Parts: sequence; C-alpha cells; structure tokens
Amino acid sequence: MHVKWRIQRILHQFRHALATPSRNPRMAVVIGRLLAAAFLICFATGLYSHFLQDPVPGMVFPNRPTWLYQITQGTHITAGIACFPLLFAKLYAVFPELFRSPPIRSFPHFLERASIALFVSASLVQITIGLLNTFQFYSLFPFSFRHTHYVLSYVIIGSLAIHIGVKLPIINRYWRKADALDADGQVVVTEDDPDARLEVPDELRRLTGEPQTAGVTGRIFAWIDEKPAPNAPDPRAKTSRRGFLATVGIAVAAVVGLTAGQSFRLFDGVNVFAPRKNGTGPQGLPVNKTARSADVIDRAMSPDWKLTVTNGATSKSFDLAALRALPQHESVLPIACVEGWSQYATWRGPRLRDLVDAVGAPTGANVRIRSLQTNSSYGVTMMQPEFVRDETTLVALEVDGGVLDIDHGYPARIIAPARPGVLQTKWLSRLEVLS
Amino acid sequence: MSVTPSPVAGPEGPLEAPETERMRRWRVVLIALGVGLLVIAAVTLLNDIPPSRYLGIAVWLVGALIIHDGIAAMIVFGVAVLLRRTGGRIPFAVLAIVQGAIVIAVIVSVLFIPEIIKKHIGTANPTVLPLDYLLNLGVFYVVLAAVTAGAIVLCLRMLKRREADPQEASERG
Repeated sequence: MHVKWRIQRILHQFRHALATPSRNPRMAVVIGRLLAAAFLICFATGLYSHFLQDPVPGMVFPNRPTWLYQITQGTHITAGIACFPLLFAKLYAVFPELFRSPPIRSFPHFLERASIALFVSASLVQITIGLLNTFQFYSLFPFSFRHTHYVLSYVIIGSLAIHIGVKLPIINRYWRKADALDADGQVVVTEDDPDARLEVPDELRRLTGEPQTAGVTGRIFAWIDEKPAPNAPDPRAKTSRRGFLATVGIAVAAVVGLTAGQSFRLFDGVNVFAPRKNGTGPQGLPVNKTARSADVIDRAMSPDWKLTVTNGATSKSFDLAALRALPQHESVLPIACVEGWSQYATWRGPRLRDLVDAVGAPTGANVRIRSLQTNSSYGVTMMQPEFVRDETTLVALEVDGGVLDIDHGYPARIIAPARPGVLQTKWLSRLEVLS
Repeated sequence: MSVTPSPVAGPEGPLEAPETERMRRWRVVLIALGVGLLVIAAVTLLNDIPPSRYLGIAVWLVGALIIHDGIAAMIVFGVAVLLRRTGGRIPFAVLAIVQGAIVIAVIVSVLFIPEIIKKHIGTANPTVLPLDYLLNLGVFYVVLAAVTAGAIVLCLRMLKRREADPQEASERG
C-alpha cells in the first residue's frame, strides 16, 4: 500500500508539473508587496470609516478637506477591487507550495501552514463579501456583513504580519532585483531542487520498484512532462514571466479603471461595471435608502411635520416655514457612501450650529440626530462638536436648486463634510444637544 | 510503515538571506504583532457576532479554500497544461497572449457576473446597479478579443522580422 509514499509521490508530481517561469520566489515577493500595500490601504481606510461611525469616546475627526471621506472610502473600495487580480496572481505564484512534501514537518510548520490557510481563506472571503456588499447582495451572507468584514480585517492584517515575519529571510533575499537575479537575468533558487526532474528515485520506488511514470496518474504527469514549461536559459521563460506580469497589470487596470468612476469623477466616462453611476436617481443623485423602505412617507409628507431641537429642558420646534425663514446657506459637499460611491451636490438650508445655538448649545456639545426612520440602526446618529460647529454643516432643505426629493430626505436632512453617507441623516425629526 | 527520510528530501525551494540579529528582532515583532491582531479579531468575534452566525462564517471560509485551491486553481492548471501540450506549432508568445486574454476575461467575469445576477433578482432601488452590465460585459469581451487579435498580429509580425534578420534576433535574445 505505502499510502504515505504514494501521497509523497503525487505531491512531488504536482509540484513538478506546476513549475513554470512565473512561479518563483521573486514573483511572489513582487506581487506580494503590491497585495500587502493594497491590504494595508484597505485596513487603514476601513478603520477610519469604522471609527467615524462607531467612535471611541474622545476621538476627534478632521472635517477638512470636505472630500476627505469621499477619497478614503473611494480608495477603500477601489483598492479592494484591485485586490482580486493581485490575490489571484499571488496565489498562482505560490500554488506549488500547496504540494510540499512532507505536508507537515513539525508543530511550528503545522502552525505556519494553518496560519497561511486562514490568511488565504480570510482574504478571499473578505474581498468577495466586500464586493457583493457594494451592490447589497446581502442574501448570500448567513452573517452580518459589517461585523464580519471588521473581524476579518484584523484576521488578515494579523496573518499578514505573521506571514511576513515567517518569510522574512526569503522576502529579504528576493526584495531587490539585483539580489534575486543572476548574471543571466534568471531567478536564483536552490540548486538541488528535487522538483527539477519528474523521474527521481523516491521511497516508493525503493520499496516497490515502481517508477514515477507508472499508473494512471504517473502516465498523465509523464505526458505533461513531455513538454514542460520553458526553463532558463530558454528565452521563452522570460516571455512567460513578462506575459504573466502584463496580464496582472492589465487585469488590475481593467477592474479598477472600469469601476473607479463611481468614486472618482475622472473615471466617470469609463464607468461601465461599478454598481453606482453618477447622475442617476431623483435630482440626478443616487439613493441608498428610499423613503418607502424607510417607511417614512406619511410622516415626512405630513403638513404637521416639525423639527424639534432640545437642550436639556429647553426645546424649540421649527416647521418647514420657520426653517426657511432662518438665514439660508449654501454648501457644496459630496454625499459619500460607505459602499464607495460619491457625488457632489449643492445643498441649501440653515446651518446646524444656528439651530442648536437657538437652544443655547455649548460649543463643545455632541448632538444626537433622530430621523423619522425607526427601522434602521442609522435612524439615530451622533455628531461630534467638530462637525456640529462646521460652517458647511447644514440642515439641508434643498439640493441643486430644488426642494429635497422625498428619497433624499424631505423635508430636512443633515449634510456635513467628510462624513459617511449613513451619517447624513435623512427625514430629520429631532436634534438633541448633549451636554 | 517506515519513517526513514526519503532520498529526495533535502533543501528545496527558495534561497534565504542570513538571519541577522536585526532581522531576528523584526521577525519576533511581526509575529507578536500578528498574534496580537488575531487576538483582537477573536475577542471582537466573540463580542460582536452572535454564535449562531459562526457556522455561516466557517462555511464561507472553508468554502473559499475549496473553491479556490480545489477547483479554480486546478482548472487554471489544467487549461495551462492543455494549451501548452496541444499548442502545436503556435508560437510561444502567441500562446502567452491568448492565455493572458483568457485570464483577464475570466477575472472580469468573476467580478461582474454577480452584478448581472443581482440586477436580475432585483435591487433596493433603481440607482443600485443602474447600468446594463450584461451589455457592457459583452462589449468588454468584444474589445478584449479585438485588442488580443491586434496584439497577436503585431507579435507575429515581430517574429517574422526577427526570422528575416537573425542578427537582430540574436541581439534581442
């Protein structure tokens, strides 16, 4: 039977058959650092977005430039999309490692392989659910997207740090092109690579006399081996490596270039695959939550609608006419969604700080903002003083010269700089000053 | 069963830089940082996600490995071997271009076919997935095919020129 040695032979045959010029340690380092950069960008921008929505007490956030969140979240989604071809390329370059023999040499080796398995699967799941979330394909997840995405981000960056730590001698050896290539421009590797030849005498052969080419799998691998991938110094090896790099580059350019228009206006003309498109929707502006799904139409359209502003025992109510009678200001601010899309608009209405000052709000006060919407956790949000006091933060009554559409938050909504769209509360009902 | 090491076992794989004291310290820091982040992940998981969701997350994690390593990577391997073995007299560079085009088409399809499916099922409002993604994907395939064909023509022309001028061929390797 010799199961162990049969497995070892199959692993060897796979590793041998998978050998190809683009699968080498230098390529793993080159693609790996691009992927690591993309992961770190996603992690940093993701944490920023997370803490904007769920701040730890004492956190203060910048409110300038006003497009800050548009850029960080647009970058988060765009870098996440770029991760697909980069991750596939990285996994392609190191695929033969999956067939290492013996599969587990020691307990530390087991831990290393287990951490890589976790790293790979968490990365694949993370970018997949991230992409599906940008067009709200929630029905595929048997879990909460936001919490799972947040937990997996720590798993990925933690596994990345461990992976770099474990592989550091190899990364260091192949980091610079000059160290990684020999005088002929070929990637340097260990000389007695046992996978260089298919037909090497192995333990199974010693025990049974059976050659590598015996049996069905042996014949298949021998057939593959009749025309192996070109190897140095064959010039086709260089063609193969360059072709691989060109493919990865074009794939990244395609998936990024054809979607980035939802976040960056420069690419709007070639936005053919993004889940959102600038200029669509009521008043030419995309919508995330409609008034119907928020179940607010009757209360929002009611002539009795009032915005109540409170500060402890002090309370004032403003109907629409009263809000319009206040000094009106104009702000040109983007609506920038956590899902990555963003679009500028010109908003008009009274300043939030004028309204809270009417009930004597202290300058350092947080404001709790309540929507008519009660069927979402975003129906109640908090605004920190740096945004409350910002002169561009409005209780908007109009957008782009017209009264707010019901789907954009009629009769009144919050618009503030450098904040995610889910915090730009629509269909306002109460503003509570917290001292 | 014997546990004597196989005659093929030995140093294999990539070279390694010598481990200096500085590198050793970096390795310790990185691995400790990584373990720390994994602990944060575990604590956040236990605090923020109800245990009834763990199975679903585990299924996704294991499923991703099976779909990638067990299915997708094997298909890529099979297609690459088949192209190489059955390529016949097709120039190597042309095969590389064709392979690259197939890979790009597959990646773009994998990323954007779910949008077509979701749009078909229905979205929360018309501004989610407002484009005709099926049409756009079709146009993308046509453009990719045209660019690939153009690249093959250019490549064949270059190869012919090299054949005609062996001096240039030897200079370029």
